[in-house]
Amino acid sequence: MTLTPTRRIWLALGIVALAQTAVLAGMVIDRVRLLRTGREITLPVVPVDPRDFFRGEYVRLGYDVARIPQQLLSGPAPAANAPFYVVLDRTDAGPWHPVGVTRDWPDSVPASGIVLKARSSYPWPAAPSPTHTQWVRYGIESYFVPQGQGPELETLAREKKLSAVVAVDSRGNAAIKALLVEGRDKLQDPLF
Amino acid sequence: MSWYRTRVERDLQRWRAAGWLDERGLDAIRADLATRKSAFGVASVFAVLGAILFGFAVLSFVAANWNAMPKLVRLLLLGGTLWTCYAAAGALFIRKLDLFAHAAVLGGVAVYGASIMLIAQMYHMEGNPPDAVLTWALGVLLAAVLARSGPALAAGAVLLVTWSIWERALGSGAHWIFLVPWAVAAGIALWLRWRPGLHLVALSLLTWLIPLGHFMLGGHAHWLVALIGLLVAVACVAAGPAIDRHVPASHAVFTYAVATTFSALYTMQFVDSNFLFGLRAPHAVGQLAIQAILALVLLIGAMAWALMSENRAALWLAYAAFALEIFSLYARMLGTLLNTSLFFLLAALLVSLLAWAAYRLHQRGILGQAA
Repeated sequence: MTLTPTRRIWLALGIVALAQTAVLAGMVIDRVRLLRTGREITLPVVPVDPRDFFRGEYVRLGYDVARIPQQLLSGPAPAANAPFYVVLDRTDAGPWHPVGVTRDWPDSVPASGIVLKARSSYPWPAAPSPTHTQWVRYGIESYFVPQGQGPELETLAREKKLSAVVAVDSRGNAAIKALLVEGRDKLQDPLF
Repeated sequence: MSWYRTRVERDLQRWRAAGWLDERGLDAIRADLATRKSAFGVASVFAVLGAILFGFAVLSFVAANWNAMPKLVRLLLLGGTLWTCYAAAGALFIRKLDLFAHAAVLGGVAVYGASIMLIAQMYHMEGNPPDAVLTWALGVLLAAVLARSGPALAAGAVLLVTWSIWERALGSGAHWIFLVPWAVAAGIALWLRWRPGLHLVALSLLTWLIPLGHFMLGGHAHWLVALIGLLVAVACVAAGPAIDRHVPASHAVFTYAVATTFSALYTMQFVDSNFLFGLRAPHAVGQLAIQAILALVLLIGAMAWALMSENRAALWLAYAAFALEIFSLYARMLGTLLNTSLFFLLAALLVSLLAWAAYRLHQRGILGQAA
């Protein structure tokens, strides 16, 4: 079958529009699936650099679990800015804390534990130091807020009253589901 | 009247005076020029400006009402705008209004990128931010192929560079994977046979290649980058005609290769951390002298070849680089024991070179007149 020029143009542009729409839809669907089906954990928010906390219309969120003792790393060291996996665990209803780091998906996870995918901008040292900590990111460090709400959240974070409800899927991807103030809902977005 | 027509008009009068053209031929040529439409006429410039302003109007309307809209409405709005852009492009292509059609395609890829960012914002996605830029760049390159769009290719090349710089800033090291989408972009530029696109693709490779030395062998691999550039330049000198039979590119590639080698040599001399804090070690002066001589030999060689092959861009690049090199050497050597003698040596080299270049140009002029 030969295509007339007109048909060729419509077909080509249709493919472009369809492919780009598919990518965008994929982003949304993946996120909604994660928020809907992911396991929920609650992490207390710690203030980041106070000057950098509120920038534009989104807030920077810091977490205790973002500071990981380097000696928790077992096996080969992850490359700089490459993803790796952090196992979090807690006793009873206590706070989550990191218990292990591996470059690949961990072989064993405690029954009460959960695995998060993380990245670090700083390369892991060849010989982890028992006293040093590694800063990691889980992709849950930004939260966009309606205009004007930033300073209020900043104050709450400084007073350590803020925590984030995070959904984690079976591959370790994390997404912020809601922000809580002293354990109560403060900001929760509908899925659509 | 366009620049081209002004020039032709001047030549026409000269040719008419010389008796090469009769009055009838003159009128025919003028009539032909008058019927030819300029690709960048006032109408199309205003139309593109109008499209841009229209885009801003839509954006500010959306931004002002964004918080009031439910997520689903926002998503439908983004998707709707995307499809509208490509539908407009299609309609304009069919009416042979290619310039406007390409503007619409560019609008479509811009909406695509904005959608990625707005969806990330809506769902508080952060992940690895450069991944979003790569996703955007690949979508833009797809549009470049299917819509045969030069502007989209240019946007894609710029996005690939942005992606790579961001990855490197986040600590990803040499970032070899850049070469894969870059090769795709280069292939598209070749297939479109669009010269500015090829230049842009070459420049985007340079923005990746020149800093590569900082990310290999402990950050001191600049000699390797210099060597790569040198090999490419030598290949262009040795096999220029053979390359030009396939793609007339050996002149441009030679220029880019010289730029790469000189940038790497310059980094070794004046930027690399070995030298950043001044000349501390006694052997450093000797090392700098060797590197400086290499750089000057490279540039003189490049000038000579540029003159012989009539490569104007390479000639100007080599002149500018030569001036920069001499100035940097002078600034660095000032206050050291060697300063006076080395500076005079370099000044002597510069003056001899200029004399030689002037001689060559003069001779060329005489030959040109004789021929």
